[in-house]
Amino acid sequence: MLNLIKNEWIKIFKRPGTYVMIGLLVLAVLGTGILTKVYGDSGQSTNPQWKQELQQETKEYKKEMKGLPKSANTYKQSLERDIAINQYRLDHNLPPEQAETGWSFIYDSASFISFAGLFTIIVAAGIVASEFGWGTIKLLLIRPIKRTKILLSKYLTVIIFDVFLLAILFISAAILGFALFGTGDGNNAHLAYANGTVVEQNMLLYLIKRYLLASIDVIMITTMAFMISAVFRNSSLATGLSIFLLFMGSTVTAIIAAQYNWAKYILFANTDLSQYFDGIPMVDGMTLGFSITMLLIYFIVFMLLAFGVFTKRDVAA
Amino acid sequence: MASPVVQLNHVTKVIKGKKIIDDLSFTIEEGEVFGFLGPNGAGKTTTIRMMVGLMGITSGEILICGKNVEKEFEAALMNIGGIVENPEMYKFLTGYQNLMQYARMIKGISKQKIDEVVEFVGLKERIHDKVKTYSLGMRQRLGLAQSLLHDPKVMILDEPTNGLDPAGIREIRDHLKKLTKEKGMSVIVSSHLLSEMEMMCDRIAIIQNGKLVDIQKVHDYVNDTKQKYFFEVNLENVGILDNIPYEKVDKGYEIELEKEEVPKMIQKFTEAGISIYEVKPIAKTLEDRFMEVTTGGEKHA
Ligand SMILES: Nc1ncnc2c1ncn2[C@@H]1O[C@H](COP(=O)(O)OP(=O)(O)OP(=O)(O)O)[C@@H](O)[C@H]1O
Ligand SMILES: [Mg+2]
Repeated sequence: MLNLIKNEWIKIFKRPGTYVMIGLLVLAVLGTGILTKVYGDSGQSTNPQWKQELQQETKEYKKEMKGLPKSANTYKQSLERDIAINQYRLDHNLPPEQAETGWSFIYDSASFISFAGLFTIIVAAGIVASEFGWGTIKLLLIRPIKRTKILLSKYLTVIIFDVFLLAILFISAAILGFALFGTGDGNNAHLAYANGTVVEQNMLLYLIKRYLLASIDVIMITTMAFMISAVFRNSSLATGLSIFLLFMGSTVTAIIAAQYNWAKYILFANTDLSQYFDGIPMVDGMTLGFSITMLLIYFIVFMLLAFGVFTKRDVAA
Repeated sequence: MASPVVQLNHVTKVIKGKKIIDDLSFTIEEGEVFGFLGPNGAGKTTTIRMMVGLMGITSGEILICGKNVEKEFEAALMNIGGIVENPEMYKFLTGYQNLMQYARMIKGISKQKIDEVVEFVGLKERIHDKVKTYSLGMRQRLGLAQSLLHDPKVMILDEPTNGLDPAGIREIRDHLKKLTKEKGMSVIVSSHLLSEMEMMCDRIAIIQNGKLVDIQKVHDYVNDTKQKYFFEVNLENVGILDNIPYEKVDKGYEIELEKEEVPKMIQKFTEAGISIYEVKPIAKTLEDRFMEVTTGGEKHA
């Protein structure tokens, strides 16, 4: 299996397009970094009145909580969390960081994850379909290796490629961020709220977690692109449809969700799990458990389709 | 004879309700070069695709070294090296990198083995060039190299000489002979180039419309004792050919003779003062046989 993945990896990296993708990703980070440095406000890192501000904020949160309907349970929880964190800052004299630091730059660069996702989708859409296009599928499938294994190695390669791009994004954001904005004033723990108490978390681990969580929709759409690629053997279809859905999926779903309750069964209503932590779910009655279940169901269906069709189909390319 | 290396039992393939292969059965022995002959669309490629597991078998079974291609895919394919139609490779990789791809997929293929195979197909000088710079002949060679990496018992080649010049065809033929002689491999080649098949195959199956119409040893009729010879002569009367089967053709006669009788016949003509301009054996070629069989016996204009 390792050798199969190595083969796929080589095929990806022997094509110039891959380097263009990596280059664009790094360029995007670089561009934002420089723009932020040049035009960003270089104010003080902490506001002297931060204590009063936090207290004010807490007051507003409490007022908002009272007015919330029962159904916004998760949002209520997130307000409770914000209140607890504010209290923790006041108690421990931890002012919130306001100026750009290397850490916050990494945090903000997470918005490029869908950019990385775009490239992963292009790779996923091509990884099966191109073999058919090139005609190389025949020589690939007459090895003494089951088709399931070949397809699995391709899928794993796509996921590894996604993680690889995320790592590139993360590392280039880190290098650039620390070089341009420094590490801040040293109190860089992330305050997390769990089971009613606030704990200080390692910032690095927290950011990695954030990147991975933000990749859920990318992984799901990548899996869909991979499925289309394996089922229809057409990379343009897989790329086009998937990229369209990557950028339009949640917008379209939100429009439907405003009218119909069944929108909650749409994949894109469930890909953004952060809606349960700091927002209101797209459709009333959706819970974190529901979304995770839906994601799993979609994932399994995509996989069954991809593997079912790919292993059964006659290859007459 | 040794146990069959390849065995087809009542293989049938139906695609979209159309019977493409109809109850095909034959076996291929060890060390044999087996020709698979048929006009365009006869079902050669389809049969080969089923043998290498690219296509499912509607009914019947195919055994490679006793292993069922569908049920024991990995064990069966271990014994097969093949090219199906054109050997398409990754154009953005070098020949060597292509071979490495395939080498990684089977345990125990050493660098020496790759070098050996490259040497064998005569691609040493260009092996580190990108495949997109290869000529068709070079790609065929690379295709052959790829199929030899794991020392298979059977080589299955679909039109390996497609697009090659006469020298290239001859080379492939020599390669195949070497493989069967030195390594005891069996080879299955498909082609519609008749003369070609005659020269390289031990046995030939002719298929048409997905059905096996004929299967026989090549030398059975190439070395037929009685044969027709063409004599370019002018005969005023044919009495001299008394009791000898002959046929008048343009410019001369086709006479059926044993080999030993040929000098006697020439002598007879010279003694009778008849000038002989040319004498040549008319090999009863596979082509005749092919035409006979595939056109259902009707004469071809
Ligand atoms: N995927 C398919 N769908 C429908 N019909 C097919 C398919 N593949 C092959 N056929 C039909 O099966 C028949 C046999 O095709 P095949 O390619 O096996 O012929 P062949 O003997 O290899 O011919 P050639 O000498 O031209 O290579 C043809 O009539 C072809 O149209
Ligand atoms: Mg063919």
